Amino acid sequence: MNWLKRNIRPEQVREFSLLALIVVAILIFGSLIDGYYTFRTFNRIASSVAIITVVAVGQTLVVLTRNIDLSVGSIVGFTAYFIGTWIGHDRDINPGLAVLASIAVGAGLGVFNGLLVAFGRVPAVVATLGTLAIYRGVLVDLSGAKTVTTDSLPQWLIDLPNFNVLPFGDLDVRALFAIALVIVVTFQVGAGYLSFARRFYAIGSNPEAAQLIGLPMRGVVFLAFVVCGALAGLGGFMFLARFGNITVEAGRGLELSVVAAVVVGGVNIFGGSGTVVGAMLGAVLIGTLEQSLFRLGISEFWLSAVLGLLILLAVASDAVILRRLRALWAKSELKLAAQSAAGRADERPA
Amino acid sequence: MSDASLPGPRAPILEIRSVAKRFDATQALEDVSLALYPGEIHALVGENGAGKSTLIKIMTGVHQPDRGEILLAGKPVTIASAAGAQRLGIAAIYQEPLLFPDLNVAENIFISHQDRGTFVGWGKMYRDAEEILAALGVSLDVKSPARGLTLAAQQSVEIAKAISMNVRVLIMDEPTASLSAHEVEELFKLARDLRGKGVAILFVSHRMEEVFEIADKVTVFRDGRLISTRLRDEATPQRAIADMVGREIDPTKRRLSVAQNDLLLSVRDLACEGVFEGVSFDLHRGEVLGFAGLIGAGRTDVGLALFGIEPATSGTITLNGKPIEVKSPRDGMNYGIAYVSEDRRQLGLVLPMAVFANISLPALKRYLNSVGLLRTSAERETANHFCQRLAIRTPSVDAEVAKLSGGNQQKVMLSKWLNTNPSILILDEPTRGVDVGSKAEVHAIIGHLASEGIGVIVISSDLPEVLALSDRVLVMREGRQMAILNHNEANPETVMSVAMGQRAAIPDEAQR
Repeated sequence: MNWLKRNIRPEQVREFSLLALIVVAILIFGSLIDGYYTFRTFNRIASSVAIITVVAVGQTLVVLTRNIDLSVGSIVGFTAYFIGTWIGHDRDINPGLAVLASIAVGAGLGVFNGLLVAFGRVPAVVATLGTLAIYRGVLVDLSGAKTVTTDSLPQWLIDLPNFNVLPFGDLDVRALFAIALVIVVTFQVGAGYLSFARRFYAIGSNPEAAQLIGLPMRGVVFLAFVVCGALAGLGGFMFLARFGNITVEAGRGLELSVVAAVVVGGVNIFGGSGTVVGAMLGAVLIGTLEQSLFRLGISEFWLSAVLGLLILLAVASDAVILRRLRALWAKSELKLAAQSAAGRADERPA
Repeated sequence: MSDASLPGPRAPILEIRSVAKRFDATQALEDVSLALYPGEIHALVGENGAGKSTLIKIMTGVHQPDRGEILLAGKPVTIASAAGAQRLGIAAIYQEPLLFPDLNVAENIFISHQDRGTFVGWGKMYRDAEEILAALGVSLDVKSPARGLTLAAQQSVEIAKAISMNVRVLIMDEPTASLSAHEVEELFKLARDLRGKGVAILFVSHRMEEVFEIADKVTVFRDGRLISTRLRDEATPQRAIADMVGREIDPTKRRLSVAQNDLLLSVRDLACEGVFEGVSFDLHRGEVLGFAGLIGAGRTDVGLALFGIEPATSGTITLNGKPIEVKSPRDGMNYGIAYVSEDRRQLGLVLPMAVFANISLPALKRYLNSVGLLRTSAERETANHFCQRLAIRTPSVDAEVAKLSGGNQQKVMLSKWLNTNPSILILDEPTRGVDVGSKAEVHAIIGHLASEGIGVIVISSDLPEVLALSDRVLVMREGRQMAILNHNEANPETVMSVAMGQRAAIPDEAQR
């Protein structure tokens, strides 16, 4: 137990329990759904998880700084629609350019969010609730209610979701999931080892102290929103590749899944702690639930309710369970300290 | 008398010359000149609002002075920001350390270093952090998150952080206010070590005994001006306090008793299971009964039981000869008991509300007109009355309570409860966090209330205060009543020895 305490932080216990929860969920669904344990199921879940994961990584950065971006669903839809329309018109566009353009469109929308929150001092919930509606409104207006159809897209884009990057026997790691994995690894390593990235944690952990030691708070918050927008833009491209048919409704409600993934993944909604890998595990759980409940024939309204419940449970457990775990960890440290400072407890205020 | 010419070991490292700062109508600092020498602990004392915080904020780059200049090692400097101050080697630690709870100890130490490269070298950072902490003689796990560290440990991290930035001037702003005696000792050891290494320390504290234990020089501020700077050996607490308030006062001067013979309240064998037991005392009209004891002895819990916040589980309370039961604060108020909490911010005042609204709050029924709406004119009238009676300094009764100083907030809280016309007033730590001048005023008010026939119970950890105010002193230890000492037998030694269990419990014949 002591070895465990020394080498594992309370936050990691949470990530392991999430992993256990995912296994339990899969076992339960496996017993309810015939033919659940197939690669088909895995691929479906994986491509659903991939999009949520990529957007959730960006959301994680924003939440770490004590903010939230509710507009990600609209950014995904906006990007998917306009990049889809663009590619539909000009089918010879270089695939790399299309990806970069998606990221740029998302980043542009993120810049607007970032300006509002970091420099306009508008609370993030209000600012991004506004842009959620604005981006969607602009999309509806500019599109003239037309849709992007699969027929109009070039073959490489249609084939992309089924492109197999790493075949493990019958198990595929397809392109979208591979993109998500690359993003997760990149950002996880970056968050751990880039000096600059540690500021995201610092600012969310104690804004007052961050201000006092002169961390560039506005710059960091702004950057968080821009990166979040950029990743939502990439998510929009993946959305386009996966579904092909894009209406003005594309990505609506995605913010719920994304915020759920982030919060369930152990990123503290009050900022300062959480990991990108955790957010991915959250996305895996959410994606599994979405796909499996869908196959059980349960209405998507119930799915929303389940997501809402998960968010509440995660935040509540953050408050209660994590505090307990930390107290448990602190206790063993206190025992050591107690010997050197006997009698200190009497002097504490009651 | 502002004096940069006192003999220092070397040239001053930081010199403040004729600095002035104004906020709106308040002249926060006026023509202040102060020199800090390397290897010297310089104490700064003064009432709340004397300008200490403003000076600290100017030294750390939070505020810019309106006039005057700052010299670092003889060269004029502009301290443009907190980060700029750190680059110049000026660091500050506060009563509540400002750490990042989610980052670990090592990261906290090095977070503001700009020169450690694009990538975090965790291994090197841990080694460097361990080295600094070891040099300080502090044993802390550099990998454990700052969350959950004791305040003392957090301050050690702050000091380590300052050292890692090659601190030349360290400002310690009320660093001991939340520490235990043992932790204070440890902190002082650290401070003396730093002094030995040539760091100039500005030590700001309200605790005179600490100032005179650690400081080499003592500077007194009053109303934004520097009143005096003296070498420790030339200064005494009395002189410093006199400089602070601008008049000589004897902090231990006793109030004259105005106790009458009518029995007001009689408490027998009061107990609250698991919290306190065996509390028995009488309170007369006009009597001030002090509750002394160490923190955690259960004094506050007795107060809470008498007022009904945490009702007693056994024992009897007799008010004016009739047995009463107090099961809720509503009961307490109906019986004419008022309890002024020690925690102004959390339990006592509604900070964003106006002064008048706070004062009328517990007695709102009295201010309703015939259709059940509040007559704010009557509320303001009451508030004005109390502002005069208790000399509350506020721009108007419409001012937000949050904007007042601690002493004036305390008076607003007193007014609030006096407005319920209590016959028994329980004051819990009435002068905590209040400056010396306001403290004397609160004491005078307590004496005045007693002379009006109110029975007053004063719960205080400030022993001189209890002794100066009380007709008798009830001493508690670990949830038990140990003794009631009469005026003539209560002195610091007797009270402390009973409170610490060094002397056997004294039976109840001390009752008058």
